[in-house]
Amino acid sequence: MLMSEEVVVSWVRSLTLIKRGAESEIRLGTFMGIPAVFKLRVLKPYMHPKLAQILAAQRTRKEAKVIGHAIKNGIPAPRLLAVFPSVGLIIMEYVEGPTLKDLAFKDSKRAVKFSREAGLILAMLHKAGIVHGDPTTSNYIVVGEGGLKLIDYGLSEFSEDVEERAVDIHLYRRAVESTHAGIADAMFKEFLEGYSEVMGPEAGSVIERAEDIRLRGRYVEERRRTVWGQLK
Amino acid sequence: MTLILGIESTAHTFGVSVVSSEPPHILSDSRRIYSPRQGGILPREVAPFFSNVAGEVVREALDEAGVGIRDVDAIAVALGPGMGPQLRVGASVARALASYYGKPLVPVNHAVAHVEIARFLTGLRDPIVLYVAGGNTTVVSYSEGRYRVFGETLDIPLGNLQDTFAREAGIGPPYVVEGKHVIDICSEGGEFIEGMPYIVKGQDSSFSGLLTAALRLLKKGSRLQDVCFTLREIAYSSVVEVLERGLAHTGKREVLLTGGVAASKLLNEKIEVMAKLHGALFKPIPGKYSGDNGVMIALTGLPAYLWGYTVEPSKALIRQRWRIDQVDIPWYYEFPR
Repeated sequence: MLMSEEVVVSWVRSLTLIKRGAESEIRLGTFMGIPAVFKLRVLKPYMHPKLAQILAAQRTRKEAKVIGHAIKNGIPAPRLLAVFPSVGLIIMEYVEGPTLKDLAFKDSKRAVKFSREAGLILAMLHKAGIVHGDPTTSNYIVVGEGGLKLIDYGLSEFSEDVEERAVDIHLYRRAVESTHAGIADAMFKEFLEGYSEVMGPEAGSVIERAEDIRLRGRYVEERRRTVWGQLK
Repeated sequence: MTLILGIESTAHTFGVSVVSSEPPHILSDSRRIYSPRQGGILPREVAPFFSNVAGEVVREALDEAGVGIRDVDAIAVALGPGMGPQLRVGASVARALASYYGKPLVPVNHAVAHVEIARFLTGLRDPIVLYVAGGNTTVVSYSEGRYRVFGETLDIPLGNLQDTFAREAGIGPPYVVEGKHVIDICSEGGEFIEGMPYIVKGQDSSFSGLLTAALRLLKKGSRLQDVCFTLREIAYSSVVEVLERGLAHTGKREVLLTGGVAASKLLNEKIEVMAKLHGALFKPIPGKYSGDNGVMIALTGLPAYLWGYTVEPSKALIRQRWRIDQVDIPWYYEFPR
């Protein structure tokens, strides 16, 4: 049966809403028998309707492309089930489990252990030429004992830029520092070890830049050049 | 009671104002605005214009306030960021007044002043701020002692985009007619054109590609009002989106818009809708205080002076690239009110 996209959207709207963000609404349902997440991009009400629609379509297409590329490179991301760019809808596999954030509140020992894997996964993503854009502990899902999955590629970009990679690291660090203060250092240390293990020698400059970002207290500024930096 | 005389001269406006620590605070607001007959703002032409009007503007501000220079407690001056030749005129006038009359000299950052006057006029205490003007497009909010930059333009500022397009399209200068930018006027009756670039990268926006695309469309024969309309729609939407991300990220509950482009009705409307969406409070500032003026320098100079920030006239050098996040704001929670 062929359904028009408007029909799909109105059906999606009838599903249970589990999260409403600035960028999208997430609903839960089943798609061809599989438990699925329905992510509908919000049309920005402050934009001209045509512009809002164009952006939602572009960003949906890009997000789907990023997820597809990530999966092809073996990154544990949710599988894509269907994409409807013109209405800003992505349907993907529902990843069940607590977030790494939830786990950190309940079982700090395991959270520290999983933090290493979080770093490992981020490095795989970076190696695949993708920066995540929001790799906080809320976006890592603990799937049984098996491991983690990294979700929400809504702000992801294709990029191999050191600065953008470093921002990812910085975002993870800030997430653990702001929500899991007691185990933040241990979690971040494990995270960096996991990251470095996969990234290899490239990791050094990214981690160094992440430290820079933290010190400057914001993201974008001209690269700091020191005599020592030039000598290296 | 403390009286501050403030001097603004960073770009096209030479403004002088006297403010008081007691209500009604703003005692005077005198300005002269340089408007080029053709082309953009050439510093070498604006600086002599400023030099010529400086004396009468200072005189006017004092007379309007009903005070003499000897009644003033300190001289505040915008030392940057801005264009060198213009900044030097304001700085020279301020240094001369300070040393001749033995008044303390207070250095003020022009960008900080745009934010401070907006906080003062609206009474919003802890907002996220979109500062859009001819020379600046930044989203800032206060954190740990300073205004921090959340996002900014990666290339040209929004006001510069509008002026440059107007100039190339032959609809300016003047760029502002009766308080409205010529882009706003030419957008009337325009329709949205698909395919012009919208660029928001994380927390930053970029306009140079948009300018190029708009001029190319115009050359190819698109209707001027459609190009104006689309250019404005994309430019405003992208800065509001950066502001929205900043709001979500910082968790602030208040939103402000300041700088020359803040006079735009459409931009105010867009921000209002966005703020409502997130349950945040937005208050617009009166149009006459959105652009550069002496009041904002005096208003910022007041707490700066009370908190002990003064500089020797011989050391009051201009800083063309003085960033907003290089300035300590120890009075943040205590001023205004």
